[in-house]
Amino acid sequence: MSRVEAILTQLKDVAANPAKALADYKAETGKGAVGIMPVYAPEEMIHATGFLPMGIWGAQGKTISQARTYLPPFACSIMQQVMELQCEGAYDELSAVLFSVPCDTLKCLSQKWKGTSPVIVFTHPQNRGLEAANQFLVTEYELVKAQLEKYLGVKITNVALENSIAVYNENRVAMREFVEVAAEYPQVIDAVSRHAVFKSRQFMLKEKHTELVKELIAEVKAMPVEPWDGKKVVVTGIMLEPNELLDIFNEFKIAIVADDLAQESRQIRVDVLDSEEGPLYRLAKVWQQMYGCSLATDTKKGRGKMLINKTIQTGADAIIVAMMKFCDPEEWDYPVMFREFEEKGIKNLTIEVDQEVSSFEQIKTRLQSFVEMM
Amino acid sequence: MYTMGIDVGSASSKVVILKDGKDIIASEVVQVGTGSTGPARALELAYQKSGLTREDISFLVATGYGRFAFDDADKQISEISCHAKGIYFLVPSARTIIDIGGQDAKAIRLESNGSIKQFFMNDKCAAGTGRFLDVMARVLETTLDEMALLDEQATETAPISSTCTVFAESEVISSLSNGVSRNNIIKGVHLSVASRACGLAYRGGLEMDVVMTGGVAQNAGVVRAVAGVLKKEVIVAPNPQTTGALGAALFAYEAAQKR
Repeated sequence: MSRVEAILTQLKDVAANPAKALADYKAETGKGAVGIMPVYAPEEMIHATGFLPMGIWGAQGKTISQARTYLPPFACSIMQQVMELQCEGAYDELSAVLFSVPCDTLKCLSQKWKGTSPVIVFTHPQNRGLEAANQFLVTEYELVKAQLEKYLGVKITNVALENSIAVYNENRVAMREFVEVAAEYPQVIDAVSRHAVFKSRQFMLKEKHTELVKELIAEVKAMPVEPWDGKKVVVTGIMLEPNELLDIFNEFKIAIVADDLAQESRQIRVDVLDSEEGPLYRLAKVWQQMYGCSLATDTKKGRGKMLINKTIQTGADAIIVAMMKFCDPEEWDYPVMFREFEEKGIKNLTIEVDQEVSSFEQIKTRLQSFVEMM
Repeated sequence: MYTMGIDVGSASSKVVILKDGKDIIASEVVQVGTGSTGPARALELAYQKSGLTREDISFLVATGYGRFAFDDADKQISEISCHAKGIYFLVPSARTIIDIGGQDAKAIRLESNGSIKQFFMNDKCAAGTGRFLDVMARVLETTLDEMALLDEQATETAPISSTCTVFAESEVISSLSNGVSRNNIIKGVHLSVASRACGLAYRGGLEMDVVMTGGVAQNAGVVRAVAGVLKKEVIVAPNPQTTGALGAALFAYEAAQKR
């Protein structure tokens, strides 16, 4: 097995086995983990406690049953999965759960957590342009910090926080380079592997993840660039799972050359900037600088233009919208983006992402037709 | 040169054999689809009618829901591409295609050269498809063939929702129980199917000519309902159930020429 294959296998294993990642971390450090609900959170604060920050993004292909007791059928697929796992006690190992509430479903779910872990809820201000928004979020983060310290029994110092910010910034830079490398080497980094590199960063300490990603990049870049005879796309949405769906991308030779997925590139889009301000303020400022996301108010609706520019920059053939089932914020963005794509003559396709689904024939037909159309 | 297209659908199997990419010498339909004896029987009928054997077929393209389960094909092409190809061959003025099949519905926008500009498919739901009509025909104690005739005799349209087959079925049962005329309910059922399909067509932007295809296009009641919703004239493709297979046979001809 080559080093590239070995790293990808390692990251795929981590992505597929979060419970094992947590158990290993506990055994290694004696510390636990803090869950982070989608979509954005000051993860650096958890990292600064020495606990493992772990993303909570549902599960692949799990049948929904108990969650029906608490959620209406039109709650998004990812929250149905999260609720089902809560009911099963899957998150009870977590020392706390950090919960932002940028949409109605998250807001309601934050008030009915069925697991045993303490839940820390905070709010992102939606009128993001004002300086008052930064101040508001700093106050929210101070409350988060106090609760983390209380539940985890660890003092979060500014020194530790500065160190964590540096670790996270380094990981974001490495991941942005990985995105470019994956675009250049689709024969080596296919859609499933690409997703695993992103997903694994939710279940590993970022410094370890960065180390592996940097090594992966170096190994891949040492290989010759081969011409790609398939299609290239930019994908957008909340997430693009399960792996069976990504297998279809591989089957029809659809390379993902850039993404705007909330689970993937939106997480690495904005770095924490250096400034004279304290770490909490700089963490809060990230939210003000965030762009192109359905959950962050944008009165100018720049997401469509951002995606069009990304398509042109990367030489992509088309944009694929991965529409999370019953995700209101994404559904509201779609008509605006669709009109802009059509006006610019950008080929585009929408596929529905439903984590519960186990049959992919219809998506396969759509993707095959789309490739034939291009 | 003979080429073949087979459309292995969810509810029926269709085969078309083309001579030199233009003359249809066999066009057969068996009303059972993938996972059944349908594909083999449709093939057998086509061979019998044409007097040909597999050895005479230069290239075979499979399409439809069961295209990857059909082993004997030289190539698999999606039904969206095949319907577009078949319709453009039959009706070159087509710019908007509404295809309602056994378990899915599609709206396809064509460029003037016949290439696909955009397409939309229904979500994972039987509402607005042939399966919806099957369910309603059973509840209404009629047949699919009769439904178009009974629709013509309706005096008004009973409201039937277009969101869910199961809910719509209970609405139909409720209406029957309340003494609503069966013909009026059938007209409402057709409108329900048309509303879903037209919703897809609107998403891509309507452009004339609008052509209906797929098995459900054989139901004049649904065609009238679609024309009513769109407020446009709707052309029904000749032999609408076989346009996907025809498109597949046309692709097969192009592929055979490149060999």
